[in-house]
Amino acid sequence: MKKIVWLFMLIFLAGCNITVLQPKSETASEQAFLINFSFWLMMIVVVTVFTLFIRFVYKYRFTEKRKDDLPEDVKGNRKLEITWIVLPILLLIVLAVPTIAITYEQSAKAPQDRKKNGVHIDVIGKQFSWTFQYENGKKEMNRLVIPEGEPIIFHLTSEDVIHSFWAPKLGGKVDVMPGKEITYEIKKPEKGSYQGKCAEYCGLAHANMTFKTKVVAKEDYQEYLIQESQ
Amino acid sequence: MIWKYLRTMNHRRIGIMYILFGIIYFFRAGLDALFIRAQLAIPNNDFWVFQGEKYNEVFTTHGTLMIFFVAMPLLLGLMNIAVPLQIGARDLAFPFLNALGFWLFFAGSLFFNIAFFINMTPEVGWTGYTPLSRAEYTPGAGTEFYVFGLQISGLGTIFTALNLIVTIMRHRAPGMKYTRMPLFAWATLITSFLILIAFTVLAIALYLLMFDRLFGTGFFSGEEGDPIFWQHLFWIFGHPEVYILALPAFGIFSDIIATFSRKRIFGYPVMVVSITLIGFLGFMVWSHHMFTVGLGPMANTFFAITTMAIAVPTGIKVFNWLFTMRGGVIHFTTPMLFALGFIPSFVMGGVTGVMLSVSAADFQFHDTHFVVAHFHYVIIASTILGVFAGLYYWYPKITGYILDEKLGKWHFWTFLIGFHLTFFPMHITGLEGMPRRVYTYTQADGIFLLNAASTVGAFLMGISMLFAVWNVYITHKKGEKVGNDPWNGRTLEWTEASPAPEHTFEPMPIVDEIDAFWFAKIENRSLATTLAVRIKPLEQETIQPFFIAMALLVICTGLTFTWYWLTIAGAVLLFSLLIVRSFTDERESFYGKEDPYE
Amino acid sequence: MNSQEAALFQDKKIGFFIYLGVEAIMFAVLFATYFIFTPAAKGPYPTEVFEARTVLLSSFFLLSSSGTLLIAEKGIEKKNQTKVIVGLGATLLCAFAFLGLEIHEFYTFVQEGYGITTSIFLASFYVLVGLHAAHVAFGIGWMIVLFLHYYRPKVSYSLYMEKQIIFSYYWHFVDVVWVFIILLVYLPYL
Repeated sequence: MKKIVWLFMLIFLAGCNITVLQPKSETASEQAFLINFSFWLMMIVVVTVFTLFIRFVYKYRFTEKRKDDLPEDVKGNRKLEITWIVLPILLLIVLAVPTIAITYEQSAKAPQDRKKNGVHIDVIGKQFSWTFQYENGKKEMNRLVIPEGEPIIFHLTSEDVIHSFWAPKLGGKVDVMPGKEITYEIKKPEKGSYQGKCAEYCGLAHANMTFKTKVVAKEDYQEYLIQESQ
Repeated sequence: MIWKYLRTMNHRRIGIMYILFGIIYFFRAGLDALFIRAQLAIPNNDFWVFQGEKYNEVFTTHGTLMIFFVAMPLLLGLMNIAVPLQIGARDLAFPFLNALGFWLFFAGSLFFNIAFFINMTPEVGWTGYTPLSRAEYTPGAGTEFYVFGLQISGLGTIFTALNLIVTIMRHRAPGMKYTRMPLFAWATLITSFLILIAFTVLAIALYLLMFDRLFGTGFFSGEEGDPIFWQHLFWIFGHPEVYILALPAFGIFSDIIATFSRKRIFGYPVMVVSITLIGFLGFMVWSHHMFTVGLGPMANTFFAITTMAIAVPTGIKVFNWLFTMRGGVIHFTTPMLFALGFIPSFVMGGVTGVMLSVSAADFQFHDTHFVVAHFHYVIIASTILGVFAGLYYWYPKITGYILDEKLGKWHFWTFLIGFHLTFFPMHITGLEGMPRRVYTYTQADGIFLLNAASTVGAFLMGISMLFAVWNVYITHKKGEKVGNDPWNGRTLEWTEASPAPEHTFEPMPIVDEIDAFWFAKIENRSLATTLAVRIKPLEQETIQPFFIAMALLVICTGLTFTWYWLTIAGAVLLFSLLIVRSFTDERESFYGKEDPYE
Repeated sequence: MNSQEAALFQDKKIGFFIYLGVEAIMFAVLFATYFIFTPAAKGPYPTEVFEARTVLLSSFFLLSSSGTLLIAEKGIEKKNQTKVIVGLGATLLCAFAFLGLEIHEFYTFVQEGYGITTSIFLASFYVLVGLHAAHVAFGIGWMIVLFLHYYRPKVSYSLYMEKQIIFSYYWHFVDVVWVFIILLVYLPYL
């Protein structure tokens, strides 16, 4: 038991600087909120169960004194059982509300209008590299540069197998499919350099299929677009 | 002795073979896990050969073996042994089919394992996602071993599930109503229905993948077909599969907790309803494995809600277990310790499950080590601890010996500590951005210590298994036989001798309440018995099931290497065997005689 | 059939019905596959491929085989040897005719360039209808074995009866699947 408590301490301590809990965009912030929210809600369950568990196991353990005790024959208890049917349902409803709200807004969608307000970037995955194509036709491999504060709309396709586009600090992942375009939006990224990677197993060098993301000021972004690609 | 087992149709012997091979593969898959952890122990590691290709092979093998060739046979083995004894059946309804089911599992597992020895191990992950698993991206015969290995053993699993259903429906002892059945039998019944649906869908998915790979169709290709279709089919199988693994374990724990609390299970009707409900809901949540594939907001929300809903019946079960212990006298035997270890561990896995159901948050969790942590928490806590609990519990019924309690406790504690140490840090590495199925990470990722802890934990789990092996050795060396009822049990299996004899339940007990044996013991009476019972299933000793399974193995070998002459030879062999079978039916000598009771 | 045999037969009947349920799920998934991929974006449109005459003819044979099998079932019930032989024999002939037509149909398709790799629609057509044809072929083998059993002196009547009844469940099931194939695979595109 001690061990488990100790491990939980660890998560709280480590929680202060865990990657996805330090979001750097509005999208990732909403996700981090959901993670935290569901975590604490679930802690209610964990604490309840652990308390009852420890109490019952300790109190009703076998001792020499209770050697000949014959437990009372209890079949069940309607009231108690209804309690632990109803309470979890309520708890889950509390969880479901923000889940639905944020999922509805954030889910990756079928191809969208490229005129929608924001910066549109084509992401092409293939074994084992990423190609980013900007609105003016500029292409670069394994390096993504985006302006801060804008909605960034990614149009993702794959040339071979399924990959998954993921920059943990900027937002959740979205799969990159062959033969089908998916769009995913990241809102209001903050300035900085971030890691990106492929999160869907895609073959031999899957682990090495990474990219760098740089979020820059809007002016710098415009400048970047007209530079020759490196 | 081997010759006897090759020809047996007896449910206990078949169960023993299931368990034996399940354990052999458990060691192989466990070794794979240790390779994985050794490679991930430190950043930028170069452990042995496990970078890239070999690493991919090893995690594919680990997953596939653990699910299909470890968890399934161990559970089917326990069901085979314990369920007939618990409900007063004298064998499974179709003993021939039971033997065939086992040998098909054996043939499938053999086929899958051969791949390693001829250096053709599949490397597509246990989920075999298309189009990666199509021939253009994984040429060579590796993936065929995955396809056919699962196909053959899946067929066996379907047969055994069907067999268990008929057994439970038709072969219960007099008075053993559905409402008096032990919960393990109930869980087996529901699980068997899940198997029938889930494994059939998997069979068709593999059938289509076979056409894609061997005959050039485009079902799962990106250009022509739909890679997502594979994921749908796979997870319509795959998610119920999780409950196929968990429900029997729930049943085992229910029986064990009741036995060692010396108290009947709390809220029996609700327990049964919640098993059924979990089984039903299990088919409505598959797309929560696919939140990131772009199914759209509607589908994501729907599957998030159904997934949350499944937490309710699961929660009910947890509280009912807790309240079974309340007011009881808890004996800390080894099986009970595994059951007690299960409750908190499983709840931890359960709550991360609810966190994963929050679809927008899942965009972050998906395919990271957080998910790895989650499913190991639920599957190890339920299935593996459940199987260990069941093996310690029913070992007397299987062999006639009782496993050493002291070594059993060493096994339990080292395993449990190792398990938490391995998987708890993975929650955090996952949130730190470590995807699953990667063989390396950098110092800059800041996950070195957590990974090192996981590796230590994995090796601790490995060590714990040595205690188990030593325990079995010591127990058999000592060779102290135990009586019918070493645990002071509640259900019918403890009325029979240990090990369970060839011909059980002669005479047949009459059951008039739940846990009838227990209440009879308390009241110092013995169970009423009768001789007027239905006929028991007919058996004979025959090698045919073994050869039928081998014929399928030959067919699949032919297909794998496109040696079609071999396929045809195998098919001829298979059909000849089926015809021979129809003429050497064990019923031939029984039918057409006078009825002794008329 | 005495009471013990009846109990065993009941086991087997339930087991076999469950097995047919498994088969039904199999076909259901293949039907779903067909719906998803038909008509395909590329390749021939189904109406170009299907031909009403063969479908009608093969359906005639297969559906009447269910009827002829009923004669054999009556025969086994009444212990009427002629009915059993005639019924089973007619069923067998119908099955052969159906299988011949089916092979002919597939052969023609392939001759016309509509192979399994031609388009995703044809692929899902072949895996579904092909699996059904394999079931018919298996049934033919089963029927031949039944004949052998019938003429064996040693076999007890109740055991033979059981074998034939189980077979007839199988055969009717295969027929029902064919009805669904007509309705869902061919009919929309004839």
